[in-house]
Amino acid sequence: MGLTDLLSKYGSQYFQALLTTWRLTAVSFAGAFLIGILITVARVSPIRPLRIFGDIYVQIFRNIPGAALLILLVYALPYLQIVLPYDVCVTTATVLIPSAFCSEHLMSGMNTISPGQIEAARALGLTFLQMIRRIIIPQALRSSVLPMTNLLVATMLTTSLASQVPMRPRDLTGIVSYINTHDTGGVMAFVISAALYCLTALVIGKIGSLVDRKVRILR
Amino acid sequence: MDNQKNVPMIELRHVEKHYGDQHVLRDINLSVRKGEVVVIIGPSGSGKSTLCRSIKRLEPIDSGEILLEGEPIPQEGKKLAELRAQIGMVFQSFNLFAHRTVLDNITLAPVDVLKKSRKEVREEALRLLERVGVRDQADKVPAQLSGGQQQRAAIARSLAMHPKVMLFDEPTSALDPEMIQEVLNVIAELAQEGMTMLIVTHEMSFARRVADRVIFMDGGQIVEENTPELFFSNPESQRARDFLNSLHAE
Repeated sequence: MGLTDLLSKYGSQYFQALLTTWRLTAVSFAGAFLIGILITVARVSPIRPLRIFGDIYVQIFRNIPGAALLILLVYALPYLQIVLPYDVCVTTATVLIPSAFCSEHLMSGMNTISPGQIEAARALGLTFLQMIRRIIIPQALRSSVLPMTNLLVATMLTTSLASQVPMRPRDLTGIVSYINTHDTGGVMAFVISAALYCLTALVIGKIGSLVDRKVRILR
Repeated sequence: MDNQKNVPMIELRHVEKHYGDQHVLRDINLSVRKGEVVVIIGPSGSGKSTLCRSIKRLEPIDSGEILLEGEPIPQEGKKLAELRAQIGMVFQSFNLFAHRTVLDNITLAPVDVLKKSRKEVREEALRLLERVGVRDQADKVPAQLSGGQQQRAAIARSLAMHPKVMLFDEPTSALDPEMIQEVLNVIAELAQEGMTMLIVTHEMSFARRVADRVIFMDGGQIVEENTPELFFSNPESQRARDFLNSLHAE
């Protein structure tokens, strides 16, 4: 099948799949971002067990392949009498893994804060949480826009894990498998999805650098 | 025997501190009365800054006691944050918050720590900025200011907390020569207004001008304590004489 045939026959399904990928990406990134911040706070907290927990968390989810995690969630959890719907399994995997990277980016963003500012905050009587909320996290976020942009793209690519389980509606990778098992889309079926991934990544990258320029901290 | 008037604003009793093998504070006993301006001088590495920072508990001490108006300052916890807020501190490297405007730098702690209303704090912050001469820089971020302007803003940030005492840790050491005076003038004004202050500095003529008392430190010890007149004209200890001579030699 050529490009025009594919688009006329499956165009609306590709569009649906694109929206699904966007939705999965947005939900995963939001979740990863939130957990990433919490884990980072734990990693710099004055409470040692929390720090250890945060470090272990990051080591685990930074180093486990997405497919392996998804298989564990789908096929291993039922042995513990926990059966999650497929979309929940996928989203859990695509939240947990990026959350570890999110925390790493925040940690390196924190390293741009001069220790003197932390001393000044302590000197003014700010508590640990006030310091985190007002000084540390805002600066870490503003210094890590570009790596976070990359993380958003990586999260989008990770959502292709959805194609590995019978999840409906299908995502951009899932739709290719569908077309190629029911029809003869060939390579062109992949090319369309790839183009849509690329386009989204380009837009994300562009927005990321605009945001970075706007919020970057003068030093 | 102590009635409220005689309780020193800051008091250090037998304070000791080591960095590994190095004995950086040796049996420090020091008190600063309300309204007094005490200047600490001494060669680099003599423990002046460490002493200043240990009062705020920015450096832990090994033993001894540090009291604010007779109340011991604890090593950690909520009470520490509370007492810290009552002691203003100005650092060598200004340490303004890089991501906030000058005005926000000043209002942040009074709003968050003292729970004052944003409006009230904002008005006071602008008055303070006016007083230190950087009112027109209020909406800029610190990196857009000169070092002298940043340090004056940092002084305003401390004053906004209405501290009982101000500590200055070499406030002009990171400044270009032409900016030193503008910062010293602000500090001198505070001295005239009766602010209790402990100042670590290398600016001898300034020390002479504002100090009620000069403390000379060397090797982690307080070697000599005197009025500025006597200290600078006729130091008692050989070490202080050597130190002052080395300055004149420059």
